Amino acid sequence: MSQSDYYANGGGGFIQGGSPFSASGSPGGARKESSHSLRPLTIAQVIKATQAHTDAEWMVDDAEVGQVTLVGHVISIQPQATNCVYWIDDGTGRIEARHWVDSSSEEDTGKWGGIDESMCVRVTGSLKTFGQKRYVNATHIRASQDPHEIYFHILESIAVTLMIDRGPPSGSGAIGIGSTLADTNTSAYTSQSRPTATDQFSHLPPLQRSIARFILQQPSTDEGIHVAAIARAIGTAGDAQKISDALDKLMDEGLVYSTIDDSHFNIST
Amino acid sequence: MSSDHISTRVNSARLPDFVGKTVRLACKPIQLNGDMAIVQASDGGEVTIRAMKPDINTEDGYLEVVGNVLDATTIKMLSYTILGQDLDMKLVNDTIELIHDPRFYTRMFA
Repeated sequence: MSQSDYYANGGGGFIQGGSPFSASGSPGGARKESSHSLRPLTIAQVIKATQAHTDAEWMVDDAEVGQVTLVGHVISIQPQATNCVYWIDDGTGRIEARHWVDSSSEEDTGKWGGIDESMCVRVTGSLKTFGQKRYVNATHIRASQDPHEIYFHILESIAVTLMIDRGPPSGSGAIGIGSTLADTNTSAYTSQSRPTATDQFSHLPPLQRSIARFILQQPSTDEGIHVAAIARAIGTAGDAQKISDALDKLMDEGLVYSTIDDSHFNIST
Repeated sequence: MSSDHISTRVNSARLPDFVGKTVRLACKPIQLNGDMAIVQASDGGEVTIRAMKPDINTEDGYLEVVGNVLDATTIKMLSYTILGQDLDMKLVNDTIELIHDPRFYTRMFA
């Protein structure tokens, strides 16, 4: 939506008051939550992001985004009187990052100095439009020293996109559309379905995770839990080999140890 | 909006899909010969780089070459970035394969 359309339609007051998604209509202040979140994105995702009107939250694949963080190369730097424009390219597209200069502040020189063209940088800020142009209002730009950060950022963007699609990797099912990473812990959806959805074992494969959680739930004893009890509780169709392999992995990672003999296991906490 | 500025990260196996397009290739120079070079991509495949900048030498370590794909094994260099001596090429290659995964490619990288 262009700015002129926006003003031609009766101004901000009408939209703010009349929108079904504002204040009263928004469930549980979800909009506020997302505005405090920070999401890693590729520039292609930023270019594909949508905004219903100039006051609305930015949406990426039907999920609200607050602040964004990008990693890319600086293509050009254009210093202007009140702000400095950096063109950032991450291989998926290009976008402007604008930093509003406060020349009286010495802190700024340290924080923003040393950025040159062709450097790899991480940019953090919020999405804005000016006329038809989309840019990142940068609150922070820093040089990225380690080349792995580029690849880390790509992988993190993929991981976060998947987590917003599917919920955290606990198999607790889909979370509500529009939930952000920051509020999944307290979301009404996840707290009901499984209270332990995001504990210390969330990163494990499902079988190892259920074994670890099962042992943790049992009364704590010195001899630990017999493997048969674990097999009964997990019940992977009597596949002892899979359970045994999973226990070996857990022991390799130091999460579980054998106690009085090779058939009893306890969890290291 | 900026679709004309896409330079997708690739390995040697993905090059045939990008003939005529701009790509980024993380690689290690094996042989330098004037403005031609043979480099090893993250999947181990060898790629010929043309219009190689003369100031690059093998001591620079890993490079990211930005260039146009002329054919399935040749890239004409537009610019480059030095990635340094320590680069986990397996991580780079795994990342590239995820970028080209149909679940993510059109949604996040193009």
